[in-house]
Amino acid sequence: MTPHEWDDLITLHHTRRHFFRDCAVGVGTMALSTLLARDSAAQQRTEPLARDTAAQQRTDPLAPKKPHFPAKAKAVIFLFMAGGPTHLDLFDPKPKLNELHGQKVPESFTRGKRFAFIKGDAKLLGSPRKFEKVGQCGMDISDLLPFHKQIADEVCWLRGMRTDVFNHGPAKCFVNTGSPQFGRPSMGAWLTYGLGSESDSLPGFVVLQSGPRGPRGGAALYSAGFLPSVYQGVPFLKGPQPILDLAPPKGVSLEDQGEFVEAVRDLNKLRHDVTGDPEIQTRIAAYEMAYRMQTSAPELMDFSQETRETLELYGVEPGKPSFAANCLLARRLVQRGVRFVQLYHTNWDHHGGPTENLEQHLPQVCKEVDQPSAALVKDLKRLGLLASTIVIWGGEFGRTPMGEVRESTGRDHHIDAYTMWLAGGGFKPGYIHGRTDEIGYNVVEGEVHVHDLQATILHQMGLDHTKLTFRFQGRDYRLTDVHGRVVHDILT
Amino acid sequence: MPDVRFLLVGLLMTGCLAPLSAQEKIDFGRDIRPILSNACFKCHGPATQKAQLRLDDRQRAIQRGAIVPGRAADSELIQRLLCADEDGRMPPPEAGARLSAADIAKLQAWIDQGAAYTPHWAFVPPQRPAVPSLPQAPQNPIDAFIVAQLQRHGLSLSPPADKPTLIRRVTLDLIGLLPSPQEVDDFLNDPAPNAYEKVVDRLLASPHYGERQARHWLDLARYADSNGYTIDGPRSIWPYRDWVIQAFNDDMPFDQFTLEQLAGDLLPQATLSQKIATGFHRNTPFNEEGGTDPEQFRVERTVDRTNTTAAVWLGLTGACAQCHDHKYDPFSQKDYYRLYAFFNSCDEPTLPIGGTPDLEKKIEELQAKIAAARLVGNDEETKKLQAEIRKIQGKIPSTLVLRERATPRRTFVQLRGDFLRQGEEVQPGFPTALAPAQGTDTPAAGRLTRLDLARWLTSASNPLTARVTVNREWQKFFGRGIVETENDFGYQGSYPTHPELLDWLAVEFRESGWSFKKLHKLIVCSETYKQSSVWRRDVAQKDPRNTLLARQNRLRLEAEIIRDVALSASGLLNPKVGGPGVYPPQPREVFAFTQSQHPWPESTGPDRYRRGMYTFIWRQSQHPLLTTFDGADAQVSCTRRNRSNTPLQALHLANDPVFVEFANAFGTRITSEGPADDAGKIAFAFRVCFCRQPTAAEAQRLHAYLEARRKANPATAWAAVARVLMNLDEFITRE
Repeated sequence: MTPHEWDDLITLHHTRRHFFRDCAVGVGTMALSTLLARDSAAQQRTEPLARDTAAQQRTDPLAPKKPHFPAKAKAVIFLFMAGGPTHLDLFDPKPKLNELHGQKVPESFTRGKRFAFIKGDAKLLGSPRKFEKVGQCGMDISDLLPFHKQIADEVCWLRGMRTDVFNHGPAKCFVNTGSPQFGRPSMGAWLTYGLGSESDSLPGFVVLQSGPRGPRGGAALYSAGFLPSVYQGVPFLKGPQPILDLAPPKGVSLEDQGEFVEAVRDLNKLRHDVTGDPEIQTRIAAYEMAYRMQTSAPELMDFSQETRETLELYGVEPGKPSFAANCLLARRLVQRGVRFVQLYHTNWDHHGGPTENLEQHLPQVCKEVDQPSAALVKDLKRLGLLASTIVIWGGEFGRTPMGEVRESTGRDHHIDAYTMWLAGGGFKPGYIHGRTDEIGYNVVEGEVHVHDLQATILHQMGLDHTKLTFRFQGRDYRLTDVHGRVVHDILT
Repeated sequence: MPDVRFLLVGLLMTGCLAPLSAQEKIDFGRDIRPILSNACFKCHGPATQKAQLRLDDRQRAIQRGAIVPGRAADSELIQRLLCADEDGRMPPPEAGARLSAADIAKLQAWIDQGAAYTPHWAFVPPQRPAVPSLPQAPQNPIDAFIVAQLQRHGLSLSPPADKPTLIRRVTLDLIGLLPSPQEVDDFLNDPAPNAYEKVVDRLLASPHYGERQARHWLDLARYADSNGYTIDGPRSIWPYRDWVIQAFNDDMPFDQFTLEQLAGDLLPQATLSQKIATGFHRNTPFNEEGGTDPEQFRVERTVDRTNTTAAVWLGLTGACAQCHDHKYDPFSQKDYYRLYAFFNSCDEPTLPIGGTPDLEKKIEELQAKIAAARLVGNDEETKKLQAEIRKIQGKIPSTLVLRERATPRRTFVQLRGDFLRQGEEVQPGFPTALAPAQGTDTPAAGRLTRLDLARWLTSASNPLTARVTVNREWQKFFGRGIVETENDFGYQGSYPTHPELLDWLAVEFRESGWSFKKLHKLIVCSETYKQSSVWRRDVAQKDPRNTLLARQNRLRLEAEIIRDVALSASGLLNPKVGGPGVYPPQPREVFAFTQSQHPWPESTGPDRYRRGMYTFIWRQSQHPLLTTFDGADAQVSCTRRNRSNTPLQALHLANDPVFVEFANAFGTRITSEGPADDAGKIAFAFRVCFCRQPTAAEAQRLHAYLEARRKANPATAWAAVARVLMNLDEFITRE
């Protein structure tokens, strides 16, 4: 490198606004690629828009960055069961609870506890579900989840989950951002901020939704918080055009759009020649990536390349939006280098009542997610992707051993113990971690707090949760706040 | 490339512009406190004193032997920083990165020079400093401060921006719209020496000035038209938004502006307008979710009011002290709950605007019933009552206000920030470090109220408010504050790039009657503001982040203003000021991700073309324009917006039906208002968007595109050209 180039490298780098805030990670790589892009841009002025950029240096803020240490996993698929699934009817059978059915809960369990809806003297509710011990690991799985039985030995079962907050919005926010207050970056944003994305034609953090309604909490759940907005989750829309404003306007063909982007690029370059502002280079790169999104999305969404057998594995009905279709799409996204895919499926909020009870609605929502969840694990495995992909299954909290007395049965929100599961990405397969007491109220062994789970997921992605920070209001913020420990017991 | 990375990081982290020589006088506030605060105070500071060592207190540091003034080598602080034994060396790896050699050298020089501690600059009330005298004294004192500092670093101001750039810049900054071609021509053809000043005066008198400045303030106020959390039901508080616009247009003095918003209800014979102003602290989110504990969320709103007040007026991060004594700043947990106590006795009524008193009474009764229904967890009843309130509110405009309770609530320190764990009782009071002379925590007749708080905030003895405010105003016009950490003036905040200028401006602002218009005029009439933003190699080398302002900064426009400039260019803008939120088109899919399918009765007619700030704000599902272009998230007070640059922004500008509609209208405007010939039309279009003539290369490129589009479809060719112009970086940038 000549001294002149050296100057350019440093000056170009320094002139980027908010330098400290935008690129605390991967500093050197980014500076070099910016420089290279500038040079190549100058040479390519008259050339048509690059269609194949695989070989080009990435100049965008989503360009891949090095982790803190070698990563076990490259991507995350978070199957978010919005509303709070009942561990007691799905994963954590309690004969004692059935025995005490209808009795008041011993006060020793509830002293000092707060609940959303029920009162302290609520009566215990046994589970009518039939459980079976499956796999080498002998995991107890409810009759509501027959397909889960097939992946028992692929999954790392966390029976000792705990969270801090018991209302849906704050609790969802807590799982996603590490804080019950809205306004912090979510895990997907932290990961793309720390690692960038392997894909140069799709967003790094994609959010999919299925079920009767969106998750409570809305955009705050996949927000970039105080991180640059390029790291915020991009919600995919139902239908053939998954990203807002992805399709060119009516009457504009993709070819016309290419001409449009070229004209914008050329005029932007002319302005760059005058002002010298490197931000214009970033904008040129943004338009080119946007254009690549337009061309790559139809291919992404085209399930016709999938075999009938694959569609049947997931239970996808072509053309019909569903959790199953989202699971398959999640696999396709990960295959294309997307870093973090989050699927929200509603509704798991079974309080009892005409629209959300344990008798009819729990079986129904189980049926919607059981087969596709298992299929995703199996499919990733046969494609050789499971080792490098973390699949997370669970909601914002569990449900109480006490019943809610409405016209049908249900359970209240429960934060002291619940079950989640993980597969792939270096998590121990066929392993049961943690144990709850005899009515499933408290964790007695192997507790994993939400912050611990977050720390462990970051760890598997090659990031130290205490070092992935962003300075805001004079303080270094992180996903796990000042808490969290990596749970090595659940790692291979 | 590892070497490059380390070198770059090293260069960046030093932060200081000129290398310090051993002889140079070390300034504790500028050079030393940031190092100690960053690396030491967490364990040896105000909150924690591991090994009984406290480094933020000179006397105690000396007693402990950590510092021996005049003898760095004998000081344990230095010995431990240089300790050869890994385990003994400070700071320990788990606490943070080791200090750089440069930082250790600074500490050594400081101790050798006597280890003087000076109080934190921001906690000492500002005095008006002398304006630097220069051989060619600039008219505007701002320039004297800036030029003097530039000269010390061998730099000078850039030449003034050309007139087209200047009128576009100042119009965007003051009113957030594009100047019309007529306004541009008037300015270009005005030979008077005060031609620019005339433009500034016209803009300051425009009703759109209030809109532009109000939107900045609404970021701080976390303004939204809905309640947030999971239900995110609608609320009516737009009269507060309009109050802010009016206040800026009236140039309401900032002390009055503060007083009315924090305590308007407590003023004797409070007017309707003064009550509306208290909506500032009603902009907190409100949880309507079933099964919530009303007290828990009342506490959360009070915490929000405390934190917001600390951030907006004091530039302090109070939130840390909610749970424990502040780790860095002299802000104890008790201080926190004293500030909290000011807001702990507020009721939260809905005030009808122009309605009758019985309607207000009716609403109040319903609210009481809602509270009761919530307590027993009766969801259906709550929903029914809420619907009833909405029905009444639909009949008359109303807004949310604060009202002090007759009997104040008692306030206790909340142990670890848990409102169920009460600690010591406290009385309303100002942070001790900022107001040492105040009373104690014994309940007395002279209990302080929000009025006292507001008056203290804007008193001459308050060290922070004026500085924090002028700093944020500076940020509007240069993209970065004189203190870069605009929300942290504490020990962890950055040191001002121009401390004297900051103080001069703070005192000037206060002494000139807290007038925003005077302050804004002073800033935009400075040569510093008016200079060119074109990149300079010498600046890039000597001051890569342009902190010394040897040129202006190019700034991407805010989300709402991007809509406004597109409306300006298209000719579609409806300039109406104020009123309830409106519903410009947005894709239906926006609500797919929320629990509630909110109504979005798409505006037709003139309301479709209102300024961006009037778009109805659903907190949990904001209009995609806002989320895509870094709008304030309306969850917590936002003191500075990000300016990101993303592919989704490109998609939005290029393809969103709203912008396509604007581009089509602009295309029509080019053909109808522009001259007959293509070159003339292109020049006209450039003047509308950028106030300038195209260069030959630009005109040629645009013409080539026009010809290509004509071949495809002559009817839409100009609309296509318009679309290209509206997608250029320059279009959404203030140069």
